[in-house]
Amino acid sequence: MRADAISAHRGGMWSWLFQRITAVLLIVMLAIHLIFTHILNIGNLDYVSIGERLAHAGFIAVDVILLAAGIFHALNGLRMVLMDYWFTSRKRALALTIVLWVVGIAAMVYGTWALWPWMS
Amino acid sequence: MSAKPRETANVGAGLWKATGMWAWLLFRISGLVLVFYLGAHIIVISMGQFGHLDKLMDLFDTPVLVLLDLVLVVAVLYHALNGVRIILMDFGIGVRRHKFMFWTAMAIVVICFAVFAWVAFTFIITGEGVTS
Repeated sequence: MRADAISAHRGGMWSWLFQRITAVLLIVMLAIHLIFTHILNIGNLDYVSIGERLAHAGFIAVDVILLAAGIFHALNGLRMVLMDYWFTSRKRALALTIVLWVVGIAAMVYGTWALWPWMS
Repeated sequence: MSAKPRETANVGAGLWKATGMWAWLLFRISGLVLVFYLGAHIIVISMGQFGHLDKLMDLFDTPVLVLLDLVLVVAVLYHALNGVRIILMDFGIGVRRHKFMFWTAMAIVVICFAVFAWVAFTFIITGEGVTS
């Protein structure tokens, strides 16, 4: 148990806490996302129908939260995995963290740009 | 035993017999799959900006890709439910009932998957969703 607790916190307290917060957000938002795309609208997804769904501000909120929480959770999870193998030293871990923040912010900007025609 | 040797000792081959190590390994694999899927998903959706989205959506409605979608659903459901189990452990819930917690989570995965599989196979066979 103690070994688990140590390795779970090795990425830092905030990394651990935000991984949990984004996990809970993702479960709720992903449930909505999957029910609407994979169950209710299977076979009926195209540019126009996605636009009609995103005409509701609530769905834009769901998608933007999914994008932000998803990118953070994905890259922070990837960071935890990589820190177990190659990025074990403090210096390498810091370099990895900086690179992943740059990648994450770029993905957030690009993802928001991708949603923009439906949002504006 | 101090913390560091104990951590090292836990990486021994014997621990791989425990359910928890398989839960951990599958959690990692599904997580990595989902990281790459998220990247691909953002790129696919951004194709709407270049007018290519409808072609891609037609491709995703073909049987092989609907089945691949079900693989994705398994990865999402496993990662989500095992994640819920881990968060519950953080709150001290079920720490004395690890196997019960894991297999309960897996039962929920199977039930949710059955719903998605039913919708997907209905779509592959009839070309219609279950609600349309």
